[in-house]
Amino acid sequence: MSKPLMVGAVAYTPNVVTIWEGIRDYFADTVAEMDFVLFSHYGRQVDALLDGMIDVAWNTNLAWVRTVAQTDGNCRALAMRDTDAVFQTVVVARSGSNLEGLDSLKGRRLALGSRDSAQAAILPVYYLDHSGPGADAVDLVRIDSDVGKHGDTGRSELDALRMVLDDRADAAALGINTWESIGREELMPGTFEAVWSSPTYSHCNFTVLPAVSEERTAPWLDLLFAMDWDNPEHRPILEMEGLRRWVPPVLDGYTSLFDAVEEQGISPRW
Amino acid sequence: MVNPGLVLDLVERVGATAQHGTVTVPLGEGGTDRLTATVTDWCARTGNELVEVRDRVATVRRGRSPDPIAELAPDLVPGTRLWMYTNFDCNLACDYCCARSSPQTPRRALGLDRVRRLAAEAGQADVSELILTGGEPFLLPDIDDLVAACTAVLPTTLLTNGMLFRGRRLDALLRMDRTRLALQISLDSATSALHDQHRGRGSWDRAVAGIRTAQDNGFRVRVAATLPYEQTHELEPFHRFLDTLGIAPGDQVIRALAHRGVADHGIELTLEALIPEVTITADGVYWHPVSADHDDQLVTRDIFPLSDAIAEVRSRFIEQRARSNAAAQWFPCA
Repeated sequence: MSKPLMVGAVAYTPNVVTIWEGIRDYFADTVAEMDFVLFSHYGRQVDALLDGMIDVAWNTNLAWVRTVAQTDGNCRALAMRDTDAVFQTVVVARSGSNLEGLDSLKGRRLALGSRDSAQAAILPVYYLDHSGPGADAVDLVRIDSDVGKHGDTGRSELDALRMVLDDRADAAALGINTWESIGREELMPGTFEAVWSSPTYSHCNFTVLPAVSEERTAPWLDLLFAMDWDNPEHRPILEMEGLRRWVPPVLDGYTSLFDAVEEQGISPRW
Repeated sequence: MVNPGLVLDLVERVGATAQHGTVTVPLGEGGTDRLTATVTDWCARTGNELVEVRDRVATVRRGRSPDPIAELAPDLVPGTRLWMYTNFDCNLACDYCCARSSPQTPRRALGLDRVRRLAAEAGQADVSELILTGGEPFLLPDIDDLVAACTAVLPTTLLTNGMLFRGRRLDALLRMDRTRLALQISLDSATSALHDQHRGRGSWDRAVAGIRTAQDNGFRVRVAATLPYEQTHELEPFHRFLDTLGIAPGDQVIRALAHRGVADHGIELTLEALIPEVTITADGVYWHPVSADHDDQLVTRDIFPLSDAIAEVRSRFIEQRARSNAAAQWFPCA
């Protein structure tokens, strides 16, 4: 029997332990056994991937971009969640603000999340530059909480929303997952409304280096793709991890972030 | 104005909690009903569980609590067995009787019509076994009709002290369906002393005779002993005696004496400590047969429809387990 595949993930909430224990148990006693290692931030995880300490990294989109940069593209994305293939950034303002579209943010205060959050900071600036009035035309208010976790905790986005509530910002940039988690406009009618939604882009993926052969990853991937939303044993893990099924990676969905990292001069390292 | 930060607080606090952990979130300003509805809606959308709202603070569990019904062995699922107290009067006055039965106890008979309807509804409600108890059921002149109403629908067990198998009562026994009925006869010891001490002089001899009568007439007999908890580990002589009577090992039932009814000591069996077994008396639906004469474990006065009574017991069991789980998580170690 070959060694278990070692998968790295970042512990952004205690629930990560439950999720990865569940995934590990799913692969137990199969041809593709795995175990997991948790890291405190993505920088440490990608370093561990490069050092060969782990075989697979469950990377955010920024961690993927940085891994590509540091390996000159000698890495592979194996799979992502269905929700990762259609991720979006949403700009939210107080209901009745009469803001609509990125151009309406000109001269306004836009609260951004952690500076290493693609969805709440890097891509909002990119879209302001490419599809709006330009980032320089907007008063950007940055909230750098939980830097290192690439916005996974959502805390900086919640803080951005609180700034809007407190009239310390006119709008906030969020990931679609945070917008969904607060119930969009529906749970607190009259509180927030979406001003603009970005095109879809890709978020997390499982990343490997060439040292981990396809012969090793293929059986693991086959089993991963076989996880079934309608199977009551698989369902809780899928619900906790925020997907209905695992899908092949949509690499085109990272183009905007590659461009944004280059344009904004974001370091390929940490 | 509803507290607009409430949902933000929910997302942040629940998100920072491990699966099945609970957090408290103050509702903030606004009407309690409206804010509670917001928390309820948020939990429904996000797959979390509102445990309670008390003093304007919501307690929310991350994820949903495990289904306590699904965690039970199939034969322990409430409603799998249906207990019926046919009557409360008894020819004995055991000093530990959980039902306070005696010759002076009012009969409070369930009656043939209700037993017949309960058996019929049990057959439609996934009940797999009916259990008739008392009091002493053989004091009832129509006990054979009650048993027939039950055995016509489901396998049935009849609890008795086994002392009355003579005359018309023996005739009634012999009319019962041996293929569908088991008798459970009370016997507390391998010799008469302990048994008679609690149940009355001469009762051991008559109970053993009753066991033999039932066996000789082709009935399956279980023997159930009620013993002080401190004696429940010294059972080898008793089991050897029951073996000599031809009682199958699986039919030798040992119960610890409960501090219920007229018992002045015994293990405490609170609602929280008992997996419920739906129990019907003339007075209503009870949590467990050991507490069928105790208002603290009365579930509802409404016996019918039986499916509603079973659903109510299961619902309360789920609520009770959720409360105890929450208390277990809160209780500090130091």
